Amino acid sequence: MKSSVHRRPTAALSRCFAIAALTTLSVAAQAQSPAIAPEAKQLLKASTDFLASQQRFSADTRNTLEIVLKSGQKIEFNSTGRQYVQRPNKLRSERSGDLIEQVFVYDGKSLTLYQPQEKVYAQVAAPATLEEMLDFAREKYDVVAPFGDLLFRNAYDILMDGVTEGIVVGKAVIEGIVCDHLAFRGEYVDWQIWVQEGAQPLPRRIVITTLDLPNAPQFAVTVTRWNLEPSFDAQTFMFTPQAGAKQIDLLPR
Amino acid sequence: MIRTRNLKALAVTTALALLYLAGVAPDAPTGLTLLQEAHAIVGAPLTPVSAAGVARRTTRRVVVAESTATQASAANSAAAQQQAATAQQQSATAQQQSATAQQQSATAQQQAAAARPPGAPAVGAVVSTLPAGCKPETRSGVEYQNCGGVYYRAAFQGNNLVYVVQ
Repeated sequence: MKSSVHRRPTAALSRCFAIAALTTLSVAAQAQSPAIAPEAKQLLKASTDFLASQQRFSADTRNTLEIVLKSGQKIEFNSTGRQYVQRPNKLRSERSGDLIEQVFVYDGKSLTLYQPQEKVYAQVAAPATLEEMLDFAREKYDVVAPFGDLLFRNAYDILMDGVTEGIVVGKAVIEGIVCDHLAFRGEYVDWQIWVQEGAQPLPRRIVITTLDLPNAPQFAVTVTRWNLEPSFDAQTFMFTPQAGAKQIDLLPR
Repeated sequence: MIRTRNLKALAVTTALALLYLAGVAPDAPTGLTLLQEAHAIVGAPLTPVSAAGVARRTTRRVVVAESTATQASAANSAAAQQQAATAQQQSATAQQQSATAQQQSATAQQQAAAARPPGAPAVGAVVSTLPAGCKPETRSGVEYQNCGGVYYRAAFQGNNLVYVVQ
């Protein structure tokens, strides 16, 4: 195409046609290339499958949560977490942050939510597997573990539910670890995940961007340490209330 | 597959816990005081902590929290009025040793009202913060917070520590 500016009507007309043709081409190209890149799917699937195959692991995390004030100002809250998982039916999740300290213990039979600072805990009977328990806790009690999605053995299906676009952004380094950086779009959130390169494709970081709130607040989790050979003891998945701790109700949804 | 669309709860949790603590802490940091005053999160869904199933997030508890703030202040105000009224009543009673039937009736009404002050939050209402000046009381092995005649019982709602009006 000529780069010089033409003022004759025929030139303008032909330019219109050219633009129309290009538009058609680009629409066609979009239709041809899948909205979710196969490489992005593969890398994610490799990661979730790898984690699903791990029978015991622990992960230390650093979490940041953004809250939007009515004024529009964003405020960030930080917490650190530690997750202990033993498939198929044990979980301990500890979280301490700016103001909250909470422990979540699942021993295969019951689920306990505990706040040591306030010395209160609630305990309910829970289903027999980790996945069932996570669904149960969320559906019956509105209790969730931060990014508990990843603990499901079918995490891929859960994560990809509603996803409309996905790309591989490229290589990135998280906590000194070379990762593949993937980005996905959904109806309500965009999210990104960084998957460790190599034989152990562990998720190293995840960021969730909320699309339907002003100023698009984000929640981010960085795994500062994965331990695939943790040493758990009898106490790890057992809840023993401290002296003076009081049992309170866990309200159904 | 079950669509998991309510995973905002933890965010809500954190937020309400923050509000709760901000309300209680005597030397709350500026940011938290600001959060509380701005009703930061109230009335809006929150940042999800999970990519999956965001749509089913609920503003239910947040709405409760908002109404709570109003209720709590109303309750405080009512409690203050109540105390003032009671003081007047006592004064009047002291002046008039020969109490009239009308007076006794009024006192009885007053006492009944004191047991559950007018303007008290509805029984079963869930609040994320207790009004000021609550005292723990144990009844039948269960600990309650007595806040100006209104009793609250601690519970978890989702990941949040909340108080249910008794």
